[in-house]
Amino acid sequence: MKGGWPFWILIVVLVVLHFVLHLSFGFGIEAPDLLTVAVLLGARQLSGGRAAAYGFLLGLLEDAVSVSAFGAAAITQTLIGYLGARSRDLFVGDSLLFLSLYLFLGKWARDALYYAVAAVVRRGDAVGALLLQAPVAAFYAAISGLVAIVVFRTLTRSR
Amino acid sequence: MVEYFEGPRKGRWRNLGMAAAFLVLALFLFFLPGSYQTPIRSAIRGTVLMPFLLAQSELVNRGASQVDVPVLRAERDSLAAVVAAQASLAEENRRLRQLMGLRSRAPRSFVPAELVRIGTAGGESTFLLNVGTEDGIRVGSPVIASGGLLGVVWEAGRRSSHAIDWTHTDFRASAMTADGSAYGIVESRRGRYREEDQLALVGAPFHVDVAPGTRVVTSGRGGVYPRGILLGTVVGIEEADTGWRKSYLVRPAVRPEAVTHVLVGVPLENGYDDLSPLWSGGAPPTRGDTAGAR
Repeated sequence: MKGGWPFWILIVVLVVLHFVLHLSFGFGIEAPDLLTVAVLLGARQLSGGRAAAYGFLLGLLEDAVSVSAFGAAAITQTLIGYLGARSRDLFVGDSLLFLSLYLFLGKWARDALYYAVAAVVRRGDAVGALLLQAPVAAFYAAISGLVAIVVFRTLTRSR
Repeated sequence: MVEYFEGPRKGRWRNLGMAAAFLVLALFLFFLPGSYQTPIRSAIRGTVLMPFLLAQSELVNRGASQVDVPVLRAERDSLAAVVAAQASLAEENRRLRQLMGLRSRAPRSFVPAELVRIGTAGGESTFLLNVGTEDGIRVGSPVIASGGLLGVVWEAGRRSSHAIDWTHTDFRASAMTADGSAYGIVESRRGRYREEDQLALVGAPFHVDVAPGTRVVTSGRGGVYPRGILLGTVVGIEEADTGWRKSYLVRPAVRPEAVTHVLVGVPLENGYDDLSPLWSGGAPPTRGDTAGAR
């Protein structure tokens, strides 16, 4: 997927939609984590350092409504941003199958990292959280990201 | 934009250094004392996130007025009952003080507020209130719903506050059984899912048996919560620490997900009045009671 201003408009739309769903409507897990989708998609277009900065800023936005684990999202998204950018060294491709797998694994890694950093989200046993809930959330995020990409490609007539 | 592969070795080290710097910055924020984190949070909430928070407040108002009028009316009536009963208590207190020749205490009040829910992972067990220090709210102000105690203000801004509900791991309330036979501390017990969260009365004396169904209220010790706010009812014993103390599971009086409007206590120099009579016969009138009364 090529960058350029239409792509970054997609990123802004994803971020705004994330906060509309999670803050304005107050949805929890019922709404997908579009912020992580935005970090993962944007990171593929940036260098490692810039992707980390980009992840840090979006994570800080998420942290602004967290009294219990302030900074946890910033740590997590910084790492995810950097790893997302470096994933270009290992995996090349823009196919829908590749991107959906990338989003799925990225979101799963994000949830695992956040679980490790933020004690406030720990509920029940780690196995259930990381092997049951996290993959479901990752699948939901990947599907949502995929829909966003398809709509974007249709609107911009790009591959 | 960058090339698909990250150029020369020098560039890779520069990127790694930059990423490490931001990671260190994020770690610094994470380990920063709470008092230093608050202004950063408030600044972001008051600028970038303000439209989203205002939108929820507007949505809560519209949703409440259009969809759920009977429930909202019942909730409002219940909270009004709390305030009215408190007013009569205050009047009785004032007359008794006059009879005994005691100096009158400063008037106390509860401030009505709207609750703004947070849907992000880090916002679990917390909520925002549309009242702040300008309304007299302070850190530690109790947040009361029509059924009983919901939580406590954790951070107070000028016009908004951040509060935790009883499901938060840091929630503690000095408590007692309604008949005063056992005192202890109430804290949260997290289940696998939010719906499974319960409270526990810990540190109750070993020689006292608290029967299931017994109501547990705030004891007023420590001065954070007024005495007598309903916390829940005892479900059964959780564990008995041999020869020393017992802990009991308590079914909470308020489910946080169902609350939209609350009363927030304004702390006073002289402490709080006893609110026990407000919940002496159970919770104040709710939906069915209100409908029946009409």
